[in-house]
Amino acid sequence: MTEETPNEPFDEAEYRRRQRSRANMMAWMLGALAILFFFITIAKMEIFS
Amino acid sequence: MAQSLTHGETALPADWRDLFALTKPRVMSLVVFTALCGLLAAPGNVPPVLAFSSILAIALGAGASGALNQWYEAGLDAKMKRTAGRPLPAGRLDRQTALQFGVGLAAFSLFLMLFASNWQATLLLAASILFYVFIYTMWLKPRTPQNIVIGGAAGAFPPLIGWVAATGSIAPLPVMLFLLIFLWTPPHFWALALFMRSDYAAAGIPMMPVVAGEKSTRRQILFYAVIMAIGAIAPWPLGYTGALYGWTAVVLSAIFVALSVQVGTRTTAEGDLMQPEKRLFAYSIAYLFILFGAVVADHWWPL
Repeated sequence: MTEETPNEPFDEAEYRRRQRSRANMMAWMLGALAILFFFITIAKMEIFS
Repeated sequence: MAQSLTHGETALPADWRDLFALTKPRVMSLVVFTALCGLLAAPGNVPPVLAFSSILAIALGAGASGALNQWYEAGLDAKMKRTAGRPLPAGRLDRQTALQFGVGLAAFSLFLMLFASNWQATLLLAASILFYVFIYTMWLKPRTPQNIVIGGAAGAFPPLIGWVAATGSIAPLPVMLFLLIFLWTPPHFWALALFMRSDYAAAGIPMMPVVAGEKSTRRQILFYAVIMAIGAIAPWPLGYTGALYGWTAVVLSAIFVALSVQVGTRTTAEGDLMQPEKRLFAYSIAYLFILFGAVVADHWWPL
């Protein structure tokens, strides 16, 4: 499955790029979910009021 | 932090594109569309944000099922040309990450469905994920050539879940839509299995053409196509849909059966390009999209 490549030099730039890309993605998703949950709550309040 | 490729002592974080590919986005598009049609064809009005959230929950549930399927079948996928490039067999992702991602996504999809909709739809979504992973992927697929027939139920859940998310109860029409996808799955997948036969044989998966042979598979494609056509048209004479859906179902199902007759009655020689099988497979996808679109159109603009 995961291949060990001990002789391959560690690519720090690639490591940082992936880390940044995932952090950005996670931030956008959490922001979108916060907004979605806010609107779900408002819609549910209107249904039950 | 999920990790994948290792470079010596240090691990690279998994690329989000590979995690996205785990969810089988192309399969998800059909799931989302049929679920949306089930929701839109249901009586009553659902607030748009709740409808959107329910469909999102179904899409995430389908994505989780796809990820867990790829986690379990990583070894088999490596043996098939069609799937060898997926993130796990290609070595771009490790199995532990795929498992954590799949389980996490499944749990979140159920939470979102419960929060945005109702417990009935949440229960159905949980049943569809568990059925796909445990009954289809782990139990049926490696054991019996009937895997697609029974496993088709997993893919048939979305319109039912969409309807239940909107109404909180089950009615005859969504059950008929469930049956339609259930009966559509065997001719759709066996058409694919006929021109991918060598791939399935190499992976040791007992698909119908591998176990029962081409001739038997072709006969069964035709048999299921006829039953499916009856099931597709049935909601019209039974009074659950109107003429717009009815005539669409009649015309599209007639074409489906005609293409199945072509596939069901022919024999192939070595080096055959399998054009009728590829045509049937492509048409079957369009068939389901248009037919479900017609269910919604018929509900909103009855003739």
